[in-house]
Amino acid sequence: MKEFMMIFTSTDYSDLGLSPEELQSRMGKWFTWNDKMEQAGVLRGGNALTPQIRRVSGSNRTVTDLTSVEVKEIVGGYYIVETSDFDAVQKIAEDYPDYDLGGTVEIREIMVFDR
Amino acid sequence: METKLIDHLFRHHSGKMVSILTRIFGLKHLDIIEDAVQDTFIKASVGWRIQQPENPEAWLTQAAKNRVLDIFRQLKTAKNHLPNINQGTDSIAINDLFLDTEIADAQLRMIFTACHPKLDPRDRISFALKTVSGFSIKEISSALLTKEETVKKRLTRARKAILKSDLKFKIPQGKALPERLESVLEVLYLIFNEGFHSNKKELLVRKELCTEALRLCKMLLTNKLTQLPEAYALTALMCFHSARLETKTNANNELLDLKHQDRSLWYFPLIQLGNSLMHKAVNTSEFSCYHYEAAIASEHLKAKRFEDTDWDKILYWYQCLHTLQPMPSHILTMAVVCLQKQNYMMTKRYLDQLNPADFEQRSYLFFGCLFDYYIVTNNTKKAIVNIDLAIANVNNALEKAYLENKKRMLLKGNN
Repeated sequence: MKEFMMIFTSTDYSDLGLSPEELQSRMGKWFTWNDKMEQAGVLRGGNALTPQIRRVSGSNRTVTDLTSVEVKEIVGGYYIVETSDFDAVQKIAEDYPDYDLGGTVEIREIMVFDR
Repeated sequence: METKLIDHLFRHHSGKMVSILTRIFGLKHLDIIEDAVQDTFIKASVGWRIQQPENPEAWLTQAAKNRVLDIFRQLKTAKNHLPNINQGTDSIAINDLFLDTEIADAQLRMIFTACHPKLDPRDRISFALKTVSGFSIKEISSALLTKEETVKKRLTRARKAILKSDLKFKIPQGKALPERLESVLEVLYLIFNEGFHSNKKELLVRKELCTEALRLCKMLLTNKLTQLPEAYALTALMCFHSARLETKTNANNELLDLKHQDRSLWYFPLIQLGNSLMHKAVNTSEFSCYHYEAAIASEHLKAKRFEDTDWDKILYWYQCLHTLQPMPSHILTMAVVCLQKQNYMMTKRYLDQLNPADFEQRSYLFFGCLFDYYIVTNNTKKAIVNIDLAIANVNNALEKAYLENKKRMLLKGNN
């Protein structure tokens, strides 16, 4: 078995003008997905990220503070799942709820080093 | 893990939180308050994915309390005048404002604000749906079949009117109460009708408006000041109408009239609730138009089959309603009722009182009724003249097709 990270990129919810009702129904879809993964026993962890960004870049270590409005897409969170291969994660990722909002799931395998 | 939340939890809590925070900070900070509440729901919807709180409702209430401090800080940095908490809230400690009874009180204050006579009547509905009911601009525009831009303008105008008139966030008392309550009932009645009579295809949107109006009505009935006979009557009316909401359209989304609805699908618990509310509503010497409308709706529900409808009683209630609130549309309905009673003399007498101009864009209803009258009195020539007028004056494609079909049937029968 291998561990994979699913990284979610999309427009931040706060920039979409979603209503409380829409937010709740979206959350319901995340619950369902979450439950499905837990029942399958594949979920190893995950986090949601706040939309504040502090970016440090270049040899001068230039610091830029950004909000979600200033970037096109933002990493909103990630899940770590344990499963056999990319195909299996791809199957799991099909239930990601925010494709209709232009969201993307990036699947990356977590590197394992030999001892 | 139990992950199912109560239906509409966020939407209903949105109205609660906006109301309490407005009670604390005042109507002039409504923008900041609404943003803060919206932000809370975004945080919840993202954060709860990973771990849902044990008691979501308590979490949301706590979040609203935390927002009090945030907003204070925000107002301070914006160099705004800090509101005097004690003044606005009669010296109740902030914590106490989050008790259920105080939340209900704050929501009523918001309802009265949204329905204030100082607001343009068209702006009241949008503003109420936004602040009291937690609808987004998109949802309001879709529910009311209005452009999003128009909704935005209405909301802005409503806010300006509130600031300009310096409205107090209060439930009116004494002499002012009956008049203000009348305006509240009118807005709730309009919200309900938007849902009930809308030609919009999606049943869901229509249902949401109806349930929301009913929920707000029930809220009025939980407060001693506002549990008045006309409020009971309006709530009963909504129950009666809602009971047959699902049967108003068939599987192809075509509108069905009372004659063709499947009466076995009417929802009886709502009819019963309506009946018991009516008992409380009639505890007065003065009936409102809601009393009569509820009586009419209930009369239709009593009939097991369309043929069993007691048209005499219905006509009587319409006469009462028309005396209280004279309207051409009531006269037209009475003409239709008389047609059902096969009392063509009376039908004619009512129709003679009317002009097409009384109905503006809906003059086709008047011509349609004349058509029916001339059919049953065997005056085909005049019937055709009127159905042509009806067809020429109708805008809605569905209704036009319906009228054209009627004409075709008549011509076919004659050949």
